Amino acid sequence: MRVIVDGDLCTGHGRCYALAPDVFGPDDYGHCTVVTQATGDGTVALSFEAQARVGRDSCPERAITITD
Amino acid sequence: MTTEHEATAGEVPGLGFTNVDPETSARPQQFYPMMREMGVVPVEDMMLLTRHEDVMWALRHPDVFSSSMDAIDIGNVRPLIPLQIDPPDHVKFRRLLDPLFAPREMEKLEADVRRLVTELIDGFVERGECEFNSAVAIPLPCTVFLRLMGLPLEDLDLFLRFKDGIIRPAASDMAEGRAMARATGQEIYAYFEDVIAKRREHPEDDLLSGFIAAEIDGERLTTEDILDISYLFLLAGLDTVTASLGCAVSYLAQHPDRQQMLRDDPTKVPAAVEELLRWETPVPGVIRAAVGDVEIGGTTIPAGKTVTCLLASANTDESEFPDPELVDFDRAANRHLAFGAGLHRCLGSHLARLEMRVALEELHRRVPAYSIKAGETPIYTMGIRGVEYLPLVWDTP
Repeated sequence: MRVIVDGDLCTGHGRCYALAPDVFGPDDYGHCTVVTQATGDGTVALSFEAQARVGRDSCPERAITITD
Repeated sequence: MTTEHEATAGEVPGLGFTNVDPETSARPQQFYPMMREMGVVPVEDMMLLTRHEDVMWALRHPDVFSSSMDAIDIGNVRPLIPLQIDPPDHVKFRRLLDPLFAPREMEKLEADVRRLVTELIDGFVERGECEFNSAVAIPLPCTVFLRLMGLPLEDLDLFLRFKDGIIRPAASDMAEGRAMARATGQEIYAYFEDVIAKRREHPEDDLLSGFIAAEIDGERLTTEDILDISYLFLLAGLDTVTASLGCAVSYLAQHPDRQQMLRDDPTKVPAAVEELLRWETPVPGVIRAAVGDVEIGGTTIPAGKTVTCLLASANTDESEFPDPELVDFDRAANRHLAFGAGLHRCLGSHLARLEMRVALEELHRRVPAYSIKAGETPIYTMGIRGVEYLPLVWDTP
């Protein structure tokens, strides 16, 4: 599983990193970044896949996509 | 259809609607399904977007739906920053302001907010009753705001008068309301002009001093820029959290099962805050102006038309929220638009969330099962959906 954040769509609602803090984190502006220890090269470790889906599903802007 | 049209037209802050019947203002949610059926609903001289899809589209296309001064008049003489700034300038201001209100920054305020909530609850918990609006919902956000801005707490009453003078002027018609808002607006500019001048002389550790020192692309903000930011903060930061707290606690007072959930399991509070924001949507609509002719939801909106994006209706749209009438603290995906969406997403949303979470945590930790006082009825306001009278009672040992 890989997560992709569309930086043009993210406006900093912060729901992803509030609900899925091991996968997503805030930058200085409160916008979404992918937390690397969970994902390394963008691939989500198996144990964090459920969290990644929660993060995606909670984004009001639908800025997060997940690919297999 | 008259009733709900009057009700929804009241989303416009500053219009001072007073003739809406109490049942309509208590439960506006009942009208939204019918309005979504209609799609784009014409009301007086504006159009309401009621479907989630249409609201999202409008909020994401600032080139089509402008948030400039054409959209709404709230007593100001220049565009409010950043609300009434369209791209490309908008992002410059948000790059400056976003870090100041990011969740990490807000976390630093938590202990202070909790102390304040604790003091407020200390003041009434043993009495077995309170009027929640005056006891918590008004003083909490107003005190937090004054501290953030570095303004004296003695000015609290002045600030309440300022924001009420704009948001709900005691006027008999719209023209009078606008005139009163404009007069209050002048007082707000004068107040902040004076404070900004003082901070230029003697900087302090507060937001206003921060704005004076801040630079965008190597240039300092002008006094006018800082006035236009402060004016918006005053209007956006006080009333909205007061309203949100009132709506949440009024709901919980009338739904003892949900209330008990938060008492039994405080870890549910953050999700409850989100779900109550979805269901109540205290800022029911945000206003835009159509830049050109545009077709949306099968309706053509002519250039220059004022459009209200009805967030409250989008937040109960069954196409986005399964079982939308159910207030479910375990709702799986809650992509509510209570803080808007797109580039004008509420700057203060993380502060609002902090204040609501801490208030609900402490309230349910300290106050036993509470309900609406017998024989009394909460009084909801139109425009910003708040509860201006919320009498609560509970048993005392």
